[in-house]
Amino acid sequence: MNSSGVLRLSLLERTKKLFVSENWFGFSLVMPALIAVFIIVFLPFVDSLWLSFQRHDLTRPQNDAFIGLGNYINLLGDDRYLGSLRASAVFSLVSVVFEVVLGVGIALVLNRKFIGQGFVRGLMILPWAMPAVVNAAMWKWIYNADYGALNALMTQLGILDEYQVWLANPVAAMALLILANVWKETPFTTILVLAALQGIPDTLYEAARVDGASAWHQFLYITFPLILPVVMVTMLLQTIWGFHHPFELAYIITGGGPYSSTELIPLRIYAQTFRSLRFGYGAAVAYLTSLLLLIPAIFYIRTAYKKIVEY
Amino acid sequence: MKTIKYYLFTLLILALLLSACAPQATETSQPVAPTEAEIDQPVAETEAPEAETITVIFPKHEAEWADVYEPRIKQFEAETGIKVVLIQSDWDSVADKIIPEMASGGSAYDVVEFDNGWVNEWCGAGWTTPLNDYMPEGYTDGMIPGLVDLFTCPDGTLHGVVWNNDTRFFYYNAAKLSEAGFEAPPATWDELVTQSQAAVDAGVVEYGMDPYWNQEWSLMNEFHFWTYVFGGEVADKQGCFLFNEDPNTLAGLEFAINLLNNGIANPAGLTYDQATAQNLFLSGNSLFFPQGISGLMALANDESASSVAGEIKIGLVPSGGKSLTLPEAFAIPANSQHKEAAWKFIEYMTSIESNVVIAKQIGLLPIWVDLYTDPELTALYPHWAGFYAQLDNVRGLSTLTWYGDFVDIGQAEIHKALAGEQTAQQALDNMAAGLSEFKCVP
Repeated sequence: MNSSGVLRLSLLERTKKLFVSENWFGFSLVMPALIAVFIIVFLPFVDSLWLSFQRHDLTRPQNDAFIGLGNYINLLGDDRYLGSLRASAVFSLVSVVFEVVLGVGIALVLNRKFIGQGFVRGLMILPWAMPAVVNAAMWKWIYNADYGALNALMTQLGILDEYQVWLANPVAAMALLILANVWKETPFTTILVLAALQGIPDTLYEAARVDGASAWHQFLYITFPLILPVVMVTMLLQTIWGFHHPFELAYIITGGGPYSSTELIPLRIYAQTFRSLRFGYGAAVAYLTSLLLLIPAIFYIRTAYKKIVEY
Repeated sequence: MKTIKYYLFTLLILALLLSACAPQATETSQPVAPTEAEIDQPVAETEAPEAETITVIFPKHEAEWADVYEPRIKQFEAETGIKVVLIQSDWDSVADKIIPEMASGGSAYDVVEFDNGWVNEWCGAGWTTPLNDYMPEGYTDGMIPGLVDLFTCPDGTLHGVVWNNDTRFFYYNAAKLSEAGFEAPPATWDELVTQSQAAVDAGVVEYGMDPYWNQEWSLMNEFHFWTYVFGGEVADKQGCFLFNEDPNTLAGLEFAINLLNNGIANPAGLTYDQATAQNLFLSGNSLFFPQGISGLMALANDESASSVAGEIKIGLVPSGGKSLTLPEAFAIPANSQHKEAAWKFIEYMTSIESNVVIAKQIGLLPIWVDLYTDPELTALYPHWAGFYAQLDNVRGLSTLTWYGDFVDIGQAEIHKALAGEQTAQQALDNMAAGLSEFKCVP
């Protein structure tokens, strides 16, 4: 065998070794899934990102052109978009605060043993399991100014003298939209926190009790630090969902009104993309908002990670 | 073991390579112009291919309170052998499906909803098929001329046949009006205010009217209504703005705002859609419903849905009958692969016979002039005489290529004005500023 023959054999051996190694075999098994993810997630992601750098109006194709950051620059001066961003920020942040406080509180109660515990846990998850459209339609009727349950309840309790047109008031409309969202999303926090609570060993509490720790101190120094990573993840998810998910809620209950005060980001994207048919601009709205969401995302992740390490 | 892994891996790579060689599932189809043979062939003699299937999408409205279209479509299938895949949902959902599909040149649908507000936009973009290529000579001769005109493109070709003659009419509760001391409906808008005030003061009704002025797409229909009934204009034929300069347009919007300020209109109307407002009128909450669908009369007299059965009458809009029409037509997308079958569907569903069947069931207004004197229908709907008198004075929505932007910006500004957060003039000026890039764009 000459030297080139030896070299070829060596190359073949090396290639064979590479392909039959454990890593490559594992990689080959997940490759079909990776290809699917690439096609379903990555390609549309890149395509829509590319779209956001273009003027692409379906009804005015003659004006289509690559405009670089033009859409993004225009967005920074678009009062309607900035108003939507503010509305979404208020909606999302206030919702998260209530969802976490209520979710943790309910989880603490459900973590205790009582008769009918399983039934109550099942019941608690109902709002979250309810389709978003049904939830929105239900709250719309509750808030109806002429025959809604909210007005009826408040006048019968003597809180109000006369029926109010809640959804015509920007502050009330936003508050009621948040209430509807909190009602639906709190069970998600509860489930995750409940799962975290059940993972805390009883021995920690027993030791604390032996040391004379009060219930509050047990919560503060045992429960809270141990559920914090889960709470942080929940807060992150709820914040992101607060920006991207509540389309049905806002569309059905307020339609973005009164005078655009509850026009959340998804409604703005919808109007720009599917009503005005400005696909490039609509994509830029989505990407700029996602970029801004990275700020709380990084904060949450860093905080959660730091707490885990310190504990 | 390593050898087995090696062969497994090789097999996997081969499988992937083979799958990559598979043919692509779909190709983007280009607009298909009818061939000469297709155009020359008389429609009546064209046999639909066996088991040809067409996909039809159009909205299901609140006027469709009885199931009328599905049975009619089944009858069409039985008579022609053409299968119909029907997609019906609310107007917004239908619009969301159709517009991107049309704009991207898709061929998913064979017959689509064609709204009056889309005509210029679609004509300019070439999204629909000229129906003149398919319909027999003189086909539109017996139709209400205004409805034909509204769906005729600037080049003179017809692109839609109306399936829903949604001309709006002025309804009033005659019993409650009489109780308030008035025997005739208002002839002017000032009289409407006077009568409303008297009825509210007498405790006969809560409000003069329950408007549907929620911030949504249809708010701009309302804007058109008040503009037209006060003799105003939105834009000229070149697309130059008139709404911010025309005193009559301003007067219309100011009147609507004052209806709220004076307690004539239910303030909750700022949060209501049409169905909610209509339900309130049918519950006896208010005296007038200035922009009601034609089928509302049948619904008002249905005791299962109305508390005011027998009390409702129709008058002319207190502006000499000027009003708004929101007709919806069927159109054939330019890329439909089943245009002959699609035309047969349109022809069948908008025929005189279908108009009669649907009118009898839900009171939908016909598109054929002769049916307004049909003895059977006029016996069933004696108020149609009033309808027909008004049809000469109705106008459709503005046909602008930028209608989507007009609605997007307009609804926010008009809603703000109605809520008293800015004046009518400020709202119109802000609309003009927001739409400045479209000034004088047809």
